[in-house]
Amino acid sequence: MLELRNVWKSFEQRQGRKDVLRGINVRVNRGDHLGILGRNGAGKSTLVRVLAGVEAPTRGSIRREMLISWPLGGGYGIQSSLTGRNNSRFIARLYGLSLSQTEAFVEDFSELGRYFDEPVKHYSSGMRSRLMMALSFAVDFDGYLVDEALSTGDARFANKCLSVFEERRQNAAVIMISHNLNHVRRYCRTAAVLRNGMLEFYEDVDEAIAAYQGL
Amino acid sequence: MVEIPRRRAMSGARAQVQVVGALFMREMLTRFGTSRIGYVWLLAEPLILGSMISLMHALSGSDLPNGLPTFLFYALGYTPFLMFRSIVARGSNAVNGNISLLFHNRITLLDTMIARNLMEMMVCFTVCLLFILLGMLIFGELPHQPALLVAGWFMSALLAHGLAMVIGSAMVVMEWVEHLVHPFTYLMMPISAPFYMIDMLPQGTQEMLLWNPLVSIHELNRWAMFGDRVIPHYDLVYVLAWIIGLNVLGMAGLRMARPRLSLSD
Repeated sequence: MLELRNVWKSFEQRQGRKDVLRGINVRVNRGDHLGILGRNGAGKSTLVRVLAGVEAPTRGSIRREMLISWPLGGGYGIQSSLTGRNNSRFIARLYGLSLSQTEAFVEDFSELGRYFDEPVKHYSSGMRSRLMMALSFAVDFDGYLVDEALSTGDARFANKCLSVFEERRQNAAVIMISHNLNHVRRYCRTAAVLRNGMLEFYEDVDEAIAAYQGL
Repeated sequence: MVEIPRRRAMSGARAQVQVVGALFMREMLTRFGTSRIGYVWLLAEPLILGSMISLMHALSGSDLPNGLPTFLFYALGYTPFLMFRSIVARGSNAVNGNISLLFHNRITLLDTMIARNLMEMMVCFTVCLLFILLGMLIFGELPHQPALLVAGWFMSALLAHGLAMVIGSAMVVMEWVEHLVHPFTYLMMPISAPFYMIDMLPQGTQEMLLWNPLVSIHELNRWAMFGDRVIPHYDLVYVLAWIIGLNVLGMAGLRMARPRLSLSD
């Protein structure tokens, strides 16, 4: 379970204090699939960082009783001077996975071929994002945090990402923060709109989307 | 499709060891580089510095009492101090330099700090051991109390680790602290007695210098290495008090710094 209670996040700026999140209340259990919609500047990235646990709230409390992924496809902690294989091992060690299984999974999923043993800094941007996706899917998280990117690469690779995600989300929680209304409609069971630093929940996803479009 | 790896359940302590282990390996691979002689380069820097300084003193014919071997005296004085200096300098940067790692929920600031400083410690321990080996082969010097010597090195590492945590967390609140780290570690050198013995100094100066816990450690190291050819002045209880004090303060500091860390700065 992941629960945010009256979470505020403020930043000190030159013009004074800015409250980006103003009392977020949300609870996500395994099997819940929540979409969060918001206009540019509504505080979506701040909310992602608070949900991911990288930034602490200014006020309020967070209860984290499941392992939440880093935002899907993000390259956090990836060393570009190390090879794809070394980076897979880092993730495997970090999350207590079998090294050989993880290497095999990432090597296969990322389709990097011999580049898997090259330093990541020699990768093209497409190769890099395929590696990131493979690493994100290599860990069986209790909850997946999706910040826009759900897939990457060409149509075939993108489809592969979507089908793995489809399979993973069955018994995991999903929090999807996205502009992509199709993805929210397809993968979420409930949805909320982030407005004025607060979450407004709706009866069903279509209603939330209608409210978002009316903003 | 290849099978999805499954996480193994584990307790808190094991999980922490695992996280530090993962970070340590990453740090090591990054610093070794991917080439096979990476190990050499990692050791080369402290080895060259230590050897050159010691060689300079050995060649300039500074004579030490009781036939102490000049090269070894300087090499084993300088390397632990070098470790202290690099743990404080590199370790204090571990807080601000690793924010994006915190996207991995399991990693805490303390983990990144331990991993980085452990790496630094292992490098310097290896260099020290190489010097000892050299001492055995060339000068026929065996450490007087090997276990105590290692304990001495370990104490300077712990002292530096505590200080790195204190400075690293202070840097989150006051950025300007960063600019004081280098002058501080540089100025510590003359007052830490890595190159001279306290016993050679007048009484008043001795007492003043012994306020610095590093002086006690360096004195201890020298006795543990050369035995009764040196007259050591040290206070281990005082040193341990500093180690505990700095480490507790440092861990509290990291806890305080954590909620203030922000990616959007």
